[in-house]
Amino acid sequence: MRTGVFWGCRILTSQYAYELSVRQVFPKLGVRLVDLREATCCGDPVKSVNIFAADYLAVRALALVNLTGLTDLLVPCNRCHFTISEAKNRMEMNGKLRLKMSKLLNEEGLEYSPNIKIWHVIDLLHDVVGLEKIKETVKKPFKGLKLASHVGCQIIRYSDLERVDDAENPRKLDELIGALGAETVDYAEKLDCCGAALMYGNSDSALSLAGSKIKALQNLVVDGLVVSCPACQSMFDSKQKDAETAVGAKLNLPVVYYTQLLGLALDIKEEKLGLHLNQSPVNNFLTKTLA
Amino acid sequence: MAKPNLESRGKILAKLSEIELVNCFQCLKCTSGCTSLKLLELKPHEIIKLVNLGFVDELASSDIIWTCATCLKCVQRCPQKASPYHVIIALRNLTAEREAKVPEEYLKAVSQILETGLAETTQKVVTKKMETFDRESLKLPKINPPKESFQSTFLKILEEKGE
Repeated sequence: MRTGVFWGCRILTSQYAYELSVRQVFPKLGVRLVDLREATCCGDPVKSVNIFAADYLAVRALALVNLTGLTDLLVPCNRCHFTISEAKNRMEMNGKLRLKMSKLLNEEGLEYSPNIKIWHVIDLLHDVVGLEKIKETVKKPFKGLKLASHVGCQIIRYSDLERVDDAENPRKLDELIGALGAETVDYAEKLDCCGAALMYGNSDSALSLAGSKIKALQNLVVDGLVVSCPACQSMFDSKQKDAETAVGAKLNLPVVYYTQLLGLALDIKEEKLGLHLNQSPVNNFLTKTLA
Repeated sequence: MAKPNLESRGKILAKLSEIELVNCFQCLKCTSGCTSLKLLELKPHEIIKLVNLGFVDELASSDIIWTCATCLKCVQRCPQKASPYHVIIALRNLTAEREAKVPEEYLKAVSQILETGLAETTQKVVTKKMETFDRESLKLPKINPPKESFQSTFLKILEEKGE
């Protein structure tokens, strides 16, 4: 399978470990990634100022996929995934919007295609590659590792749009972790938001949300937290130290992208998966895993 | 004393084609599951009620509309399709159109996109061992900026202010 990839802003400008690990693992599972002609924003931060302008950016991303001749698009960021899925839905529902957007795209020599299927890392791995294929490809399965999953908000809500998993009881990420031999836990705070969107203007509250979730997981005694969104990772991993003061507790929970975890199980070197870039204490977790 | 402004209310409703605000019967499912309730006292059911009553100007100039974490639980759980998240975004757009106070980070993101196509600039990351990395040293491919046509089209759209 060949698929276009829309990276968005955060992965390309700071969450390099996600890009590194996505680029590593997919080809090993028979998925070829094709970069788009241009790197642009999906429109997410523009929504609060001008929803039409935000939709244009999202629709333009789909028009860039159309240039490649491909009909599948991998969007590894939860916020980009929601923004593009919602804009696509509005294009389907609203003929006037479709006309207006098409005219603007034509000015740029671009053309919208309604036939592009939008994937996230989680459903592309779970529904297309499949758990069996992952299990067969894994070279170093994990043993005795207990992990918590955090799927994030915007890939599972709201269900009127085509979403990646069930809105109230998402299971796919847990099943993907299970396919690598690790155990997952259910916990009360599983659907709690990382708070990333509040970094614009309410950063104390944002850090408090992230810190509370980490604190709850530390009390559960898990070996680590697995995420699949650059916004969530920026809160739980990159800003974990900043969250300590917000919640008044010592925080030292290893946090990894699922694609990093999968890469380790596929026996890809740590550096190639960007594990040296994680700010949380992944070393503890690595010694525990590979021992 | 605050007085309802039905014209402003009309502006919000015009931005919300599929959302059925008037059907809200204040069940509080949105507020009871709201990410921002505990820390920032956001009460989505009150936002819906205030818009329905016409107190839109008060909301548009209030900080409360900028406290939504955009977790979308209210959209998911609303039994009446009143969708507080979408109402909050419409209120933010109205605030921006009126050139009233929009948190600086959003405006910065928009001008950054206009300039480079991306909302953020590339950062150097420092590891726990105090080594510095960037895209080049990580052997990640160069970022291709959008063609020139993008800037003029996007600027035109922004100047139309969502009309």
